[in-house]
Amino acid sequence: MNTHPYLRAYLAGIFVPTLVLPLMLTGFITLRLILGVPVPIERFVIFPMAVVPSLFGLWNMLYLASRTVTHLPIGVHGGILPFLGAPIGALVASCLGFLQIAAQGIIWFHILHVPYALLAAIFLAAVAGYYLVWKYIVGFLNRVMGIA
Amino acid sequence: MNAHDEDRIKELLRQAMPPVGAEAEPAPEPSIDLWPAVLRRLDAHRAAQPRLNWVWFDWALLAGVVAVTVAFPASIPMLLYYL
Repeated sequence: MNTHPYLRAYLAGIFVPTLVLPLMLTGFITLRLILGVPVPIERFVIFPMAVVPSLFGLWNMLYLASRTVTHLPIGVHGGILPFLGAPIGALVASCLGFLQIAAQGIIWFHILHVPYALLAAIFLAAVAGYYLVWKYIVGFLNRVMGIA
Repeated sequence: MNAHDEDRIKELLRQAMPPVGAEAEPAPEPSIDLWPAVLRRLDAHRAAQPRLNWVWFDWALLAGVVAVTVAFPASIPMLLYYL
């Protein structure tokens, strides 16, 4: 099964965000419709629904294309993705109006104030989370798909 | 080198080099199944490769992620936003 390796890399890449999205939607719909928390779900889900899966798929295709040159482990390759995804996500959130940049930090949904120091910790957690997801889940899927 | 030697050499060359296009004889079947031996060699090769035990590092990273989400619940929607 050595045909279409990039298609298989894309499919292996989009697996995790595609799996997480319905769970996240369930949580946010519960928050919004049942608990009445004023969160603009319809704007919030644009980035996780439209951009993140494609980003994961394309990043896995890039891993397949570049690994003979870079020799990076897949976890490290995945850990680099937040450095690209975080600015894109922040830009999208800012354009959609649920992220404001203030002097002391950023404000999500007009209610959630996140200081810059905490933002750095969250970013490091995201890098660590991406590293683990790529090493154990995307790496496993690549092996299953025969492209590891 | 006399004519007899030349004939002898020609005969030996013919035996050593079959004519082009001649149908090759099929290779004889091995008396035993070689595939398990191939698998054993692959396993031995894999085991001989130097392996760094990074599991503790991964657990530490996971603990760090969990610590951040527990200590700062505001980080949960932000992390979900990027998944």
